[in-house]
Amino acid sequence: MRIDPAGHVPIYLQIADGIRAAVAAGVYRPGEVLPSLRAMATEVHVNPNTVQRAYDELEREGLVYSQRGRGLFVADRGDLSAQSRAGDGVRRALDEAIRAGRLAGMTATQLQDLFHAALEGLAQDGRKPS
Amino acid sequence: MISPAQDDPAIELVGLSKRFGRTLAVNNLSLKIPRGSTFGLLGPNGAGKSTTIKMLMGLLSLTSGEARLLGVDVVADPVQVKQRVGYVPESHHIYRWMRVREVLGFCKSCFHSWNDQTCREMLDLFGLDLEKRVKHLSKGMQTKLALLLAVSHEPELLLLDEPLSGLDPIAREEFIDGVLRAICDRGQTVLISSHMLDDVRRLADTVGILNEGQLLLNGNLDALLTTTKRICATLRDGCQPKQTPPGTVWQRIRGREWTITVRDFAPEKVQQVQATEGVEQVRVVDLGLEELFKDFIRGQRVTP
Repeated sequence: MRIDPAGHVPIYLQIADGIRAAVAAGVYRPGEVLPSLRAMATEVHVNPNTVQRAYDELEREGLVYSQRGRGLFVADRGDLSAQSRAGDGVRRALDEAIRAGRLAGMTATQLQDLFHAALEGLAQDGRKPS
Repeated sequence: MISPAQDDPAIELVGLSKRFGRTLAVNNLSLKIPRGSTFGLLGPNGAGKSTTIKMLMGLLSLTSGEARLLGVDVVADPVQVKQRVGYVPESHHIYRWMRVREVLGFCKSCFHSWNDQTCREMLDLFGLDLEKRVKHLSKGMQTKLALLLAVSHEPELLLLDEPLSGLDPIAREEFIDGVLRAICDRGQTVLISSHMLDDVRRLADTVGILNEGQLLLNGNLDALLTTTKRICATLRDGCQPKQTPPGTVWQRIRGREWTITVRDFAPEKVQQVQATEGVEQVRVVDLGLEELFKDFIRGQRVTP
């Protein structure tokens, strides 16, 4: 998980985004335990209080549940809910891109065209060689 | 002696001042840092960060005011402070001729609370060579040794004075991991002064900015970053707006660009800028810690 300490997105949100993405990608599966606070804090080099805040956020949205003394577990169907919530991070990135486009004086249609072109480009990259 | 209550704040400063001749290096500083938090003390060179930390450790006298660490008055009981607080000074005065093994033995004899296991863990983490002489260690290794010494007597509070300057990125990361272990494993409260803002962002949950001996702001790091924003407006030719929204930290007009950084951001502040005579377009920009820091300091230097 990559943390950007120079950017404006609060680090606890970056961690929450990173864990959602990991759950959506199957790195952590439903029923499995998330790394402990200490393990996650030293893994991403971030204050454990900040990691705790990310964990609280994920627990509140139901992606994970805590079992006293045993840690945080990925909820049933957590992978599906993570996929839908991962949209939050994507949305923030899109907002950023749209702001940059507006700054450069682009119109909504121009932005739409760019978005479709980018999507098309990614689809081509992702295609497995047959 | 009455042992201080566990719910005393880790650090409590009341009207703390330090005068050097005609210079007021620390000016009526009041600050409370609760236990369990990691506080990043920021400020330009000469802001009074190091002076403040040295007063807390009894290395400089107080001109006026009070300072309590873990409920202990630093003037009345400096010995108890040294036993219960770990300190990494800006420049190390570790016995340069000694071998690492000898330094450890010496420091162990000074502290009744010395913990061999913590010491061993930190030795492993940092890969310090016991047989090397201190003067032959790299700057990074010397700093890591200083941290090892500061945490091995199991202090409740760590004061780290500019420990990261001059360290390479790997040494900085290892140092940070050492501090994180102290926080995770022993719940230590930490105050760290630094110019390495990315590292402070990783380590700290609370920050304060010190400028010319005074605290400009103090609060939860994420909250400060979400509530401080830049409003950027495009101006018609020749317009020089005079009125800025409440809570303006810093502003600049350069050509057609009017930049305003505000604290306690609210949409009404954007509306106010939008409604200003000569303003054509307005957008809002989020800030990182470095920009926030610079804007607060620049705002103090520009005469309104």
